[in-house]
Amino acid sequence: MMTLSWRTRLHVWLRLLLLQASWNFERLQGIGFFYALLPGLKKLYSKEQVLSVSKNYVGYFNTHPYLAPLVAGAVLKLEEERAAKRGDESIAIEEFKEMVAAPYAAIGDALFWGGLRPLVAGVTLFFAVKGILWAPLIFLVFFNLAPMWFRTAFFLRGYRQGLRSVEFIQQHNLPDWAIHTKEAAVVVLGGLSAFMVFSHLNLKQLTSWLGLLTLLPMILLSLVARKGISTLMLVIITSVCIVCAGLFWADVALLLKI
Amino acid sequence: MISVDLFLGALIALFCGLDRVAILQFMISRPIVAAPLTGLVLGDPQVGLQIGLLVELLWLARLPVGAAVPPDDTQVAIASSVLVIILGRVLDAGGLELILLALLVTVPLGKVGQYFDHYARHYNVRLSKQVELAFERGSLAMAEWQHLRGLVSFSLAAVATYAVILAGGLIIVPLIWPLFHEPLSYSSDWLALALPLVGIAVILGTINVSRAITLFCASFGMAFLLMWLV
Repeated sequence: MMTLSWRTRLHVWLRLLLLQASWNFERLQGIGFFYALLPGLKKLYSKEQVLSVSKNYVGYFNTHPYLAPLVAGAVLKLEEERAAKRGDESIAIEEFKEMVAAPYAAIGDALFWGGLRPLVAGVTLFFAVKGILWAPLIFLVFFNLAPMWFRTAFFLRGYRQGLRSVEFIQQHNLPDWAIHTKEAAVVVLGGLSAFMVFSHLNLKQLTSWLGLLTLLPMILLSLVARKGISTLMLVIITSVCIVCAGLFWADVALLLKI
Repeated sequence: MISVDLFLGALIALFCGLDRVAILQFMISRPIVAAPLTGLVLGDPQVGLQIGLLVELLWLARLPVGAAVPPDDTQVAIASSVLVIILGRVLDAGGLELILLALLVTVPLGKVGQYFDHYARHYNVRLSKQVELAFERGSLAMAEWQHLRGLVSFSLAAVATYAVILAGGLIIVPLIWPLFHEPLSYSSDWLALALPLVGIAVILGTINVSRAITLFCASFGMAFLLMWLV
């Protein structure tokens, strides 16, 4: 039975879009989680009770923002059961929240930040290289499809299933999806690199096979990056090398003409 | 009007800066979106698209995991777009050389964003204390308000980063433009190709995928071969 109306649930869902507004180094998303749940808690408890229940939610909390709706939905369900005194009293809601937040954060970081973002960026840059002005819109649409589905469907599922929402996320094998997405991103970025190099050589009317040599500096740079050298340092070193090579080549061309 | 362009840039910096961490996270803050948006508003979307293309991949490997704060590529992209469009008119210059010089100046300044972001997150710690105080007073409305006050810190951090990057660019780029214009013209095309490739190499080096380099080389080789044959 669902006590909370769809309006209240929508209110909570919309507030979850502001989850990180007060992100801080002490409680991370803690205040935001309380802020999001408040419309639901107000419907479940009396004024005096809401105040004491709310205190449970302003402590430390951190998960991935796209998976936070799943936690929030489940917590609302558990609060609903607690308010109606028909829940499993042996499981503290606060413990459940803490128990799922960290694994969900790890899954979300790997799937969305580590996999989906480079994948969609790689696809979008094909359009950007061609100078197509719709590229940003393509990025926004393709990237947001999955997060919006997770934010909406998982919130509803969390509210419907409560504690059992953990089983739901286990069934989806999200860590495997994160690995597959990352692999797809690597493949797309390989294709993008080849496309950019090939187009550039064509533009410069240079022999195409030279482009394969690009792999050497790229592998070298990736190995150096793996050692912990910052992107900024790599950009500076690469830029200086290219500008110096350009000047050197210009001088050589001038000398050969003479 | 330069002041109008600066103001419009600041508005975009504010909105995209909030999308980066505090609200929505629809990825309007990604350089490939933020820079063309800035270009579109200031009347030159192609410049924005080119800047977005060059900046997008640079720090994509730096994940905003937990308390980690990556350099602010959003404000680098927005400030660079504003800078190139304004200086293009003032210096009567343009082209890829100006874009690259602006980026070579603004990309290191992106580190400033990390400090402002850190400061905002430290400042927000006091909001937790205010929430406790609100509970002691029995005021839920006051506790809710503290959460929204956090937006002020993030807004100020975004605008301050934009202002520092832009100010740095407006001071340095016109000074060094006469010196670097010609040297850059010999290698600008190659540099424009290299920047995204450096970003891709960093992603390749840091992405947690077994045999990532093998997969990348296979994909690169196959795509290259197909383009060569077709």
